[in-house]
Amino acid sequence: MIVEYLSDAFNHFSLALQGLWIWKTMALMAIGVAAGLIAGAIPGFTIAMAVVLTLPFTFSMPPEQGVATMVSVMVGGLSGGLMAGILTGIPGTPSSVATTFDGFPMARGGRPGLALGLGVWSSFFGGIFSAICLMTLAPQLARVGLEFQPWDFFMLVMFALTITASLAGRHLVKGLIAGALGLLVRTVGEDEAVGMARFDFGTDVLLSGFDFIAVLIGLFAFSQLLSDVRDPDKARISLSEQSAVKARIDHIGALKEIAKRWIVVLRSATIGVFTGILPGAGGSVANILAYDQAKKASKTPEKFGTGTPEGVIAPESSNNAVEGGALITLIGLGIPGDVTAAVMLGALLIHDVVPSPTFITDEPVLVYSIFTAFFIATFMMIILQSFMLRVFVLVTRIRMYMLACVILGFCGIGVFALNNVTFDLWSLLWFGILGFLMRQFGFPLAPMILGVVLGNIAELNLARALAITPDLTPFFTRPWSMFFLIIAVFSAAFPLFQEHRGRKKWTLFYMPLSCFAASIPLFMMGGIPRPIIASIVVGFGAWTLWKRWKSGFELDASLAPEHVYREG
Amino acid sequence: MTRLNRDTYVAILLLLFCGVFIWATFDIRQPDYGVLMPSTWPRVILSALTLLCFIFLIQSIKAGPDEEVADPSREPGFVGFLKYWRNPILCFVMFFLFLLTLPILGMLIGGISFVFLLMTLLGGWQPKQLLIHAVISVCAVGAMWSLFTFGLEVMLPEGVIYNPYMN
Repeated sequence: MIVEYLSDAFNHFSLALQGLWIWKTMALMAIGVAAGLIAGAIPGFTIAMAVVLTLPFTFSMPPEQGVATMVSVMVGGLSGGLMAGILTGIPGTPSSVATTFDGFPMARGGRPGLALGLGVWSSFFGGIFSAICLMTLAPQLARVGLEFQPWDFFMLVMFALTITASLAGRHLVKGLIAGALGLLVRTVGEDEAVGMARFDFGTDVLLSGFDFIAVLIGLFAFSQLLSDVRDPDKARISLSEQSAVKARIDHIGALKEIAKRWIVVLRSATIGVFTGILPGAGGSVANILAYDQAKKASKTPEKFGTGTPEGVIAPESSNNAVEGGALITLIGLGIPGDVTAAVMLGALLIHDVVPSPTFITDEPVLVYSIFTAFFIATFMMIILQSFMLRVFVLVTRIRMYMLACVILGFCGIGVFALNNVTFDLWSLLWFGILGFLMRQFGFPLAPMILGVVLGNIAELNLARALAITPDLTPFFTRPWSMFFLIIAVFSAAFPLFQEHRGRKKWTLFYMPLSCFAASIPLFMMGGIPRPIIASIVVGFGAWTLWKRWKSGFELDASLAPEHVYREG
Repeated sequence: MTRLNRDTYVAILLLLFCGVFIWATFDIRQPDYGVLMPSTWPRVILSALTLLCFIFLIQSIKAGPDEEVADPSREPGFVGFLKYWRNPILCFVMFFLFLLTLPILGMLIGGISFVFLLMTLLGGWQPKQLLIHAVISVCAVGAMWSLFTFGLEVMLPEGVIYNPYMN
């Protein structure tokens, strides 16, 4: 069985490699990595934005080539943020915020080459680890996904939206409102089940609904650019005027340092992959989490923040590993792990490829092309990084307002090219305004974007479920539905738990209770491995409860949020 | 009267928005076939959204009036508001005008004009800047337009003034 699986995998891999190993695709991938590196290095220009803007270029390409180009931009973008973060102290992307904590002091301390080398090689190893996880875990997850029925898919979408909204922390309600708005946007136009017009308000243009890529670019890219130029003084200065930008990468020194700290790379990359699998979390969470864990595990935590190598290795290994994790859920279940993966889903849909648990069996060559492109792009990133550093120095001389204006112009051309319809440009403008207002009023955009992307999947599965039986109880009684419902409820309560932790008694029972509740559907699934996992989960819950009982259910004040902030 | 929180206004606006959309669900035609009626899913979403907006409204009222955040760059009054948000407003207005004039100017001339004018409005109009803005807008939009038109064979909107697709 394993031999057969490996043989199939090898065949698909060689077919995918044959498809990609042509000069045109390789050239496009190299351009993609280079563009991603520069886009990631420009503060205010996110990876998702870069991938979104690449999408219109891929229309005329075959699916394998188009997706490989987008994967390359994504991989480049993940590594590009470190250049700005280390050399200027301004993180290029939210995924490289923690890199600046030690990377910038190291560069300021006279070792910019080593800091860059550590960042580049940690990104490389994180990316390779993530690509291996992607190749091995995605098929397994898809196998689990084959058990899913419409009720389970519907609840999975609800879970993805809830957990994304819960990342808004104290603004959970705003996150949930944003998610619901996203779902509502997707209902405009003809419904997919019976083709009836909805919310067209008597106009023909709204009959076909909003193109979701135009909505994504508007909500995300357009609104971000406007936020970047809000301050007229900052908009008129270039990055190089804010800080000196000059360095050469010290590859050998960095590799020696990383070899001594390989465990940090492994731990941080694992954190990255699992954060990526979690819908909505993404690199911005993973790099901070990995930095925090590296600091906790270090024998010299007091050196963190002064330019210690672990402080660069941890965030950079984790943020590059995130996208592999996000692609695992996209390929295995058809549910994007973050905004960038959501755009990748859009790209696949444009090429008439619908990711689902059967995606790997239906389109093995395309799936293996994604895996292979991820690998190749990671190697290209290492080669191109030194060269792009020089280009980055040139880009830093351009003023922010100039970049914003040119990119707005590109957004216009790119969005029109989606369907050759002017209405998409109007969608871009209206959703740009909406996204900008949402940012200003503190509404997170990620739940809305996931709502727009997953809206029709939720509705179609609801329709399928009701076509099988009008009974609603399977939504709550089927093991997988119940599992997603339980973790959705606990993830929604998580911000409340964090707020009252160490201050209110009920928080002592949150963890044990969530373990006991999550184990019920796992036991119901039957077989051998899942009840074993359920027993471990119950055991962990019982052990936590026993520890609390032993301490007389005493509250630990050091866990209270304000104490944690003070420590930080 | 106690001043209201900024979120309260947003919550009220969102509730009005929900009301309009709930009303609009009654205009959706219901066919005789299918299990899930076309209006059911939007109504489910709108019910959840309305409930969330009510919670948001209550939360915002409980939170009390906004604390005044002293931003030295922000002047009071409507003029101050316009000055503070000058750049984003300019971007929206210029993009709006770009779309409005697109059927006349077309993507090439319209795009170059949009980028040039916006850069000049945001960055200033010293002679040297004007020259830089003109070069950047012609090169950037021209290159992108050429790539889509000749490389990807996408027919971008042609204008009345200049129609590159007319033989």
